[in-house]
This record gives sequence, C-alpha cells and structure tokens, in this order.
Amino acid sequence: MAGRTYRRWRLAPLAPLVLALAACADKAPLDTLEPQGPEAQTIDKLVDPVFAIAGVVFVLVQLGVLAVAWKYRKRKDDDDSLPPQIHGSIKLELGWTILPALLLAGVGGASVLTILDLDDRPAGAQEVTVIGQQWWWEYRYDVDGDGEDDIVTANDLVIPAGEPITLSITSRDVIHSFWIPALNGKRDAVPGREHPLLIQADEPGVYRGQCTEFCGLSHGFMGMRVVALAPADYDEWEANQQEGAAVPDDELAAAGMEQFRTTCSQCHLVQGEGGNEDLFEGAALVSGAAPNLTHFASRGVFAGAIFDLWVDQDGNGEVDLAERGEQLNVSALEAWLRNPPAEKPMYPQGSRGMPNLNLTDEQIDALVAYLETLE
Amino acid sequence: MAIVERPSDVLALPPGGLVTHSPLGVFARPRAKTGWRAWVSTVDHKRIGIMYGVSALFFLVIGGVEALLIRAQLAAPDQKLLSADLYNQVFTMHGITMIFLVVMPMGAAFMNYMIPLQIGARDVAFPRLNALSFWTFLVGGIFLNSSWFLGGGADGGWFAYAPQTGVIFSPSHGMDFYAIGLQITGIASLVGGVNLVVTVLNLRAPGMTLMRMPVFTWMSLVTQVLLVFAMPVISVALFLLTFDRLFDANFFNVAQGADPLLWEHLFWIFGHPEVYILILPAFGIVSEIIPVFSRKPIFGYPFMVFSGIAIGFMGWGVWAHHMFASGLGPISVAAFSVSTMFIAVPTGVKILNWMATLWGGKITFSTPLLFSVGLVAMFTIGGLSGVTHAVAPADTQQTDTYYIVAHFHYVIFGGALFGFLGGFYFWWPKVFGYVLNDKLGKVHFWLTLVGFNLTFGPMHILGLQGMSRRIPTYRDGYGFNLWNAVATVGAFVIALSVLVFFVNIVRSKRQAPSLPPPGPDPWDARSLEWSIPSPTPDHNFDDDPVVTQLDDFWHRKYGEDEQGRMVPIATAEEIAMPGDPSRSHLPAPSYWPIVLSLAFPLIGYGLIFNLAIAAVGGAVLLGGMVGWALEPPDDEDLPPHGHDDHDDDGTAAAEPEAVATQEEVTAGD
Amino acid sequence: MTDTAAHAPAATADHGHATATGISNTKLAMWVYLGSDCLLFGSLISTYLLLRHRSTLGPGPKDVFDIPFTSVSSFVLLMSSLTMALAVASITRGDLQRNRAWLATTAMLGGVFIGGQVYEFTTFYREGLGYTTNIFGSAFYTLTGFHGIHVSVGIVMLMSLLVMSIRGSLGPERAEAVEIVGLYWHFVDIVWIIIFTVVYLIP
Repeated sequence: MAGRTYRRWRLAPLAPLVLALAACADKAPLDTLEPQGPEAQTIDKLVDPVFAIAGVVFVLVQLGVLAVAWKYRKRKDDDDSLPPQIHGSIKLELGWTILPALLLAGVGGASVLTILDLDDRPAGAQEVTVIGQQWWWEYRYDVDGDGEDDIVTANDLVIPAGEPITLSITSRDVIHSFWIPALNGKRDAVPGREHPLLIQADEPGVYRGQCTEFCGLSHGFMGMRVVALAPADYDEWEANQQEGAAVPDDELAAAGMEQFRTTCSQCHLVQGEGGNEDLFEGAALVSGAAPNLTHFASRGVFAGAIFDLWVDQDGNGEVDLAERGEQLNVSALEAWLRNPPAEKPMYPQGSRGMPNLNLTDEQIDALVAYLETLE
Repeated sequence: MAIVERPSDVLALPPGGLVTHSPLGVFARPRAKTGWRAWVSTVDHKRIGIMYGVSALFFLVIGGVEALLIRAQLAAPDQKLLSADLYNQVFTMHGITMIFLVVMPMGAAFMNYMIPLQIGARDVAFPRLNALSFWTFLVGGIFLNSSWFLGGGADGGWFAYAPQTGVIFSPSHGMDFYAIGLQITGIASLVGGVNLVVTVLNLRAPGMTLMRMPVFTWMSLVTQVLLVFAMPVISVALFLLTFDRLFDANFFNVAQGADPLLWEHLFWIFGHPEVYILILPAFGIVSEIIPVFSRKPIFGYPFMVFSGIAIGFMGWGVWAHHMFASGLGPISVAAFSVSTMFIAVPTGVKILNWMATLWGGKITFSTPLLFSVGLVAMFTIGGLSGVTHAVAPADTQQTDTYYIVAHFHYVIFGGALFGFLGGFYFWWPKVFGYVLNDKLGKVHFWLTLVGFNLTFGPMHILGLQGMSRRIPTYRDGYGFNLWNAVATVGAFVIALSVLVFFVNIVRSKRQAPSLPPPGPDPWDARSLEWSIPSPTPDHNFDDDPVVTQLDDFWHRKYGEDEQGRMVPIATAEEIAMPGDPSRSHLPAPSYWPIVLSLAFPLIGYGLIFNLAIAAVGGAVLLGGMVGWALEPPDDEDLPPHGHDDHDDDGTAAAEPEAVATQEEVTAGD
Repeated sequence: MTDTAAHAPAATADHGHATATGISNTKLAMWVYLGSDCLLFGSLISTYLLLRHRSTLGPGPKDVFDIPFTSVSSFVLLMSSLTMALAVASITRGDLQRNRAWLATTAMLGGVFIGGQVYEFTTFYREGLGYTTNIFGSAFYTLTGFHGIHVSVGIVMLMSLLVMSIRGSLGPERAEAVEIVGLYWHFVDIVWIIIFTVVYLIP
C-alpha cells in the first residue's frame, strides 16, 4: 500500500537497519506505525515529523563524525607540529545551545497540544470499564447507565466500529497496562486507580493488544483483542450478551453443565444458570475474579487471548469476525482444561491463575460440549 | 637504561613505601605491603580503584551471561529454554547487575584512581571510608547474587514496581535480596559520594581552582553530588518495600489505601539522576581522550563544565517521563515532556563540543580515541531516540517495548561502557606500567561496535513493531522473528569482543617485559596524572604540584614561540616528578573497613532467614565502628589527636621505610 | 623543588588549614552528609503526607495525636539545640567544665525527647494504632522512627564527646569536633520542627 511505503521511507533516516524493514515480515499485528483509529492517527501524525527530524540529525552527526575523523586524521608524513590550539567560540556555543532549544521548544509545543488533544474525550461517548488481573482482561459495560454492569466479558473487547469509546482502566491486583497499538497508546491499569483512555476503531475488524507492564509469570501471555463490529452487529451482540445462558438440549452438553456447576462455578460465572450471582467477590483467587463465561463461545480467543477458540481457517494468524462460531479449536480447549498451568505459567498454589483440576477425558469432553453452547 | 623490576603478582602495584610501626595492643595497624593482606587492608585510592575495576569486570561477565541467556531464549519464537519464572529472574538480575554492579563500580574505579591524581592530591579525604565503600559494594554484590543459590534471584524487574514485588505476588526471597542488597550497595555509594565531594572540593593542589580542573574531575564531581542526593530516595523506597515484605507494613497494600504510584515516583526520582550518574564519568573520560589524540584542547571548556552541571540540575526535573503511561494526568505529562526535551540541550552541546575538538586537529586513531568517537556516535543515537520518547504521546506507544530497550542500551552501553573501555586503554599504562596492545585493541573495538549495533539496532524496529519488554517468548506471526535472531547473533559477537579484551590484558601483560616502558606520559597528554611515573608511585606526587592554568602540565611541555605558535619547550621526562617518596606520608592501612563491611550481609541474611544472624551482624557493626574509632592513627610518634605528621621545623616526623622502588631506580634515567 | 613547607596536601588538610575551601574535611563531610539526609527525610515526609489520610480502617491522626504533649517534647528538643550551641561556645573559649555540663545537658534533653516519643508511641499502640494496623500507622511510625534513630545516634555522639572530655582529650584545639556534632544535632532538630509542623499541627 502506498501509505505503508511512505511511512517506512520516513523511518529510513532513523537507522540504516530500518531500510531492511521492507524485506522483513509484512504481518505485524502490534505495529505501532499502522494507526487504525483517530487517536493512534493523532500520535502518528506527531511522531512522523519527529522521527524525520531525528533522522536528519542522526545522519548529520554520523556523517559529521566520519567526515571530521577522516579529514583531520594525522597523515603519515606529518611534521608533528601542533594544530591550531582553538579553545572555543562563544558564538558557536550560543548558536548550538539556542538553536536546538528552539527546535525542541517547537517539538515540545506540538507535544503539549497533542497531549491535551488526546485527553479531550467526547462527553457522550460509550464507556467500558477495563479491569486487568493476573493474567487476563475483563470488560464491563453499564449499558443502561443505572450504575450496574449489564455485560461482563473477557479477552475480546467488543465495540462498535467508527464510534469513540471511553475506557476506564483499572486493576484488581498488580499494575498491568492496556495497549492496542493500532488504536491508541497504552495506559497502565493500577489497582486503586481508574485511568481513562479513548479508543475508536475506524473499521470493523480485530485489533491485537498485549499487556505492557511487567506483571509476573504470564505477563508475556496476557493478550487482548479489540473486536470492532459494524453498528448493527454490535447492537445484536449487546442484546445477546445481556441474556442469560440457556440449558443445553444435548445430553453431553447437559452433563458438561453439571460438571461446570460442580467444578467451575466456584470461580467462573455463567449467568442465567443459577451459578454464584455475586461472582467477583466469590472467586477464591487473590484477584477475586475469574472470567465470566456466560457467552464464552461468542469470543474468538481464550486464556488471556493467547489461544484461539476457533480454528483460523484462512491461516492469517487471527480468528477473524467471520471465523467465530465456525470450527471449534477443540485440541486447544481440551489441552487447557486438562492442565492449565502447563499451558500458561501461573501460580495456582498462591491462588493466582487456574489450577489443574485433574479432570478425566470424559469430564473434559462434556465441558467442551457445554462451553460450545455458551454463545 | 637501568634494569627495571616488574611486579610478580598479576595486577599488583610494586612494593611501595607504606608506613608501618610496632603494634599497639590488639588494634595494631596492618603491616603487609604485598600479597593478599596488603590488598585487603589497603586504604590506597589506587588499589581501591583497581579492585573496583576488577570487580566490575567480574560482574560484567555475570551480567553478560545473563544477557546471553535472554538472547538465546529470544532467538526464535515460542522457545522454552528458560521457564517464565527463570526468565523473570534472569532479566531482573541482568538489569540489576549491569547498572549497580558493573557500570557504577566501573565509574567508581576510574574516579577513585584518577581524581586524586588529576587534582594533585596524595589520596582521597577519607581513605578508610574509601576502602569501606569498596568492600561494602563487593559484599553487597555477592549478597545480591547469592540469591541464585538461596531460593531464586530477584524476579520483579530492576525497577521493582509495587504491588508486584510484595510478598503475595513475589513470594520467593528474591525481592528481599534485591531490597536489602541494593541498600548495602547504596551505603557504599553514599559514603563514596561524601568522600569524593570533599576530596574534590578540599584537596586540590595549590593553584588548581575549580575552573582549572580537568573535565573528568568536573564530571565526577557532578556525579558524586548526584549520588549523595539520589541514593537516599531509593533508600527510602527500599525501606518501604522491605518493611512491607518483612514486617507487614502497608505502604503498598492497595486494600489498605496505598497508591502504587508512590513506589514509581520514589524509584524514578532516584532513577533518573541515576542514569546521569551512569553516563557523566564516561563523558568526562571521553573529554580527556579526544583532546589528547587530536592534539588540541577540549573545545569550549567552560561550556563542557556548565553543561555537565546543567545536566546534573535538570536531571531532577524529568523523572516522570518514565511514567507517561502511568495515569498521571495531562498537565503532569505535558510538564515532564517539555522538561525532558530541554535536557537534550546540554547533552547536545557536549556532542558538538567533542566534534569541534576533533575538527582541525591531528587525529591519531588509537584504541582510546576509537572508543571515544564510538561514544559520540552511539550516544547520539541513544539521545535521539530519547528525544522521541520525550514526546509523551509517542512514548505511550514506545514505552515498555524494545524501542526503549534499544534506547537505554545505546546510551548506557554505547555511551558509558564505550567511554570506560576507552578509559581502560588510555590509563592502563599509568596504572600498570605497560600499554595494552593497540592492534588487538582495535580488533576489540570493531568487534564491540559491530556486535553492539547488531544486537541493539534491530531492537528499535522490534519496539516500533510492538514487541513488549519482559516477555519470555513471542509468537510466530508477529513480525519479530528476523530481528530477534539478528540481535542474538550480535549478542554473541559482543561476548567475543569481551573475550578479546581479556585476552589483550593477559597478552599485553606477558609481552610487557620485552617492550620499552611507557614512561610517565606515553600519549603526550594534558593533565597532572601524566606528570608522575608509570605505574603511579604509591605516594602519587613527590611534592604538591603548583598549578597556574588549565592543562598546566601540557603548558609546561609546550609554549609559544616568537610567532605565537605552540612549540615543544620541554619533554615529559624532563618535567615529570621522579618518584621520590621521602617527603610524603601515606595514610596507614586498616582491616576495619572490610570487617565493618561484613556486618551488612550478616544483617541482611538475618533479616531474611534468622534474626540471630542479624544480631551477630549488629555486633560486628558496633564492634567494627568501635575498632575503627579506637585504631591508632598513622604513626606512633604522633601526638594523641594524631594529625600532626611533621615537627615544627617542617620536616617529616616519621621516615617511611626506604624500599628500593621501581620509580627510584628509573629516576636515574 | 622540595619546599619544606610543601607537605603532602591531605595531611595538612585534615587540620582544617590548607584545604582548598578553608573548611576542614570532616566538617565539609558533615555538611554533605546532612545534604543527603535532607533527601532522606524529604522522601519520608512526602510519603507520610501522601498516605496519612488514606487509611481504610483504624485510628487516624486526629484520633491519637496529643498536641500539647508533643509540643512539650518539641520544646525540649528545641532547648537542646540551645544547650548544644552553648556547648560549642564554651569549648571554643576554653571553658572545658562548662562544655561538659552543656554536652551532658544536651544529651539528657535528647534523652527526654526520646523518652517522650517512646511514651507517645506506647500510648498510641494502646489506643489501637500499631505499625501494621493501617497505612497511617506504617507511615507515621516509619517517619518518626527514622527521626528517633537519628536523635539516638546524636546522643551517642554527644556521650562520646563527653567521655573524651572527661578523659582530658577534648581541649579547645578540638573544638571543631563539638561544632560538627552540633551541626548534626541542629539538623536533627530542624527536621523535627518540620515534622512537628507538617505531621501534627497542619491537618
């Protein structure tokens, strides 16, 4: 695409190595230089000229050093006399103090304006609460504005495309950081504090994220996705999420539901099914919460967005909007249920993360069947 | 030419005229002049400097192995060489080791050895405290690393954000070793800071005003002042963490109302001045080397001094640029973004002044010069990426990614370490009496330059493509594969370059007897340390040098002729001091510094494992302080208050034992 | 050239003459150390100010502080600075006996202050404010505890001077030693003024 090439050209002065970017992977889901929303676009617009200036200075200094070193090298036939013993030049000193200061003042001014611009959140924007805990992300929606959360979901943050969404980011245990590079810079999730962040996705699609504040064993395995839906699809999603789960007809799935009630409902909540109504204080974990699974099968990923719930049929490395609900990634789900700490480093002995529940194959089969019904 | 003796120990200074006397009860001062006892009881700033240097290089190997483990793990996606738990320990210890146990002590090595020489002094203001600083640092570093064998290394990152580092989320003892270990090394830094500030302010030779000091001494002074003010802040942060972990305090207990940002603020108020502590000594070294090998004075001496002071001051006003994504609010973010941008100005002034020094010179590409020019080039890259971070909105995309890893390795490795490597080659003949092989030195330089850029250059790309820091592995299909592989190759090239350095040391030492001695001034340099024999005599200067201008030594070698051109008027050998110790009186050695330093790890182990050990440590602390205070002064002929070392007629009261020193033998040349 | 008056510099610098600044090494070292201590207490005080009203349970400052009592012990510490100054003055003019008296008084007043702190803390503890009770407790005891340790170290230094004086090794030529301890003591007192104002008086 012309845009991509243009951006990469501007990077070239920054480092010779960057020139080789053209030859490397063309798939970079966490790329910070491919904005897909207005906030990320604002940052990118500020960053590009700054990189350009930095690139020019870089070239000047490196070439300058090389040129000076070459030109003033001691020649073999040198007479060993001293070169002119120049001590300094007030003019030069003032010049190269004031000029960079002015340049930086300009960059600083532009930065301040952008900072204030990014902090300006439209008043009526939809709000979603984002809560980080070891090692997954939870999202809570107060749809009717009555102070109670109507939708509680995990891993996939579903939003309507083309609309501004104000996130209110916090944590239940340690500091995490919420980051979807294509949409905006990151914001730390700090326990005891709430940090606002505006995001907006221009187009429907899937946008990858990664926890970016060291948070222990599975910091590297704590991803998330923003799933932007076309407005009509979003309305449908929103309505569906507020309904409880039905009792499954299928025998295996019904057995799975019973298994869920016995084993899983101590931490996980499936609404509409008589599980613990007040989930979040109930889960026997340090963070006090495990993912709400009422509409587990409506998501594309699980276990901190590191495993695909559905098979990536087109092989593009992502469970796209259309691939959800198609072909269940049974092997990944079974492996997870069989031994979660083996799939993702966690600390269940300290009540952080999901323990190995020693399930038999039959129990796992039943649970998988049940989970698949939780659309 | 007279036959010269060469020291038999690998790195030992030749036996010198240290004062000894008969014992006074149990607190007799040690008498050894050679062997391990001499080193353990030394209060000589030169031996202490060498020990700092050796220790730093030892920890460099440890930190380097940790780096190689990281790079091996990250060479390809989805690897499982290191478990996530072990990886967290390795990257944490790598950071702690490199910052606190390599770069800081390496700076200390140069500052301890060179400051008294550059200001024309006999030693530092408090020689025993100086020894205490070194031993405390060493036991602190060993204490920190003993965690590997005692339940696991620290695993919360070198920056140790709370509440992750509390007992709930970091249940192993690793973070206790971190908190207590850094307190111990912090004591070393603080004591050293007080010592060197007093030294530079008080012990300058007659005529050496502040604006006649070499740039290295100036940068060291700013560094020590920064240390004195920054260490207490992290000390408080570490106390709060320790009290939380060991005594159930509530400083970072969110349920009890804590705000985790308190840790971040305290840590970075220390942490930002800390990075200037890391870089300023290397800036000073490079400011010594470039003029010598360009054969011109440093361009803009006053501006070099004032920009260093400016960096020292301004460094206190930028700390929250490490917190742009932490939820500070737009006003704070904007303020720190602007202040961070302006700190680039004095740094840029330095880069341009170094280039202007090279300009119009006659440049010899010796190994020290190569590393110095390398610093100019590499630090510029790191500084430029730093300016891009200062743009706070950009930083919200860059922070906690490999783009930041690239930035700080360019400034710390490409800056501080390059400067130190240049310093090793530059000052080696002065310290050890032989030159490091320049050809092998150039191999060392080029391997380092190539390996370093191969490792950290691609990390700019990785960061901008979204690779997070502190992740034990990455998935396929994120665009991270190629550059991680390249970076791993680069890391092993760096390892090779370090090996070449050690080989050079050993080979140069072996070849030295067959080469002419370097003499006092092998490089035709400018500052006072080159006006005395090589290796430096124990007593430094035969008499107080009298200084009349900046680069006084240089101006005694070169003067203006009738046409106003600078021409040689004397050789270094002619004006250098011959090395006659008879008019000098050295401070006596002491065992109390090392004894006292042992109290700290005992208290540390006690706090972690068993309070009985801490009680023993406390006893050693008290006993050590008492012994130190009651130790007899330098000479038994002295009056009780122990400071008069001369009679009224001005002659030295105690003759140092006359030992045929190398200097005296060569003085006749 | 060997000028017999040109001694190795550090030897004479220790005496307080021939240092480049004119201040003795030890005194300058004390000033530099006190500079670092400013940052130590600055960090502790800032921590306290940030945390003092954030407790989620347990007693708060208003519930436990006894301003009149603490005012008295603050006054005692303030007076000890006066006696410290008198100690310095007396040794400077050679009055060794008075010097001993004032040193002893200063140490005693410091001891009274510490005694007052101990009494105060045990009272708070009985009223339900322990070190681990809440965040206010942790912050308060840590700040005042560090200050108390500094005062105690100061008392040890004063007692050492007193012992030296009794043994006859603290004459007017060593007045500077008393002055340097005085610097430390006044600093600790000034820190207490700040703590008292900011912690107790200003809500």
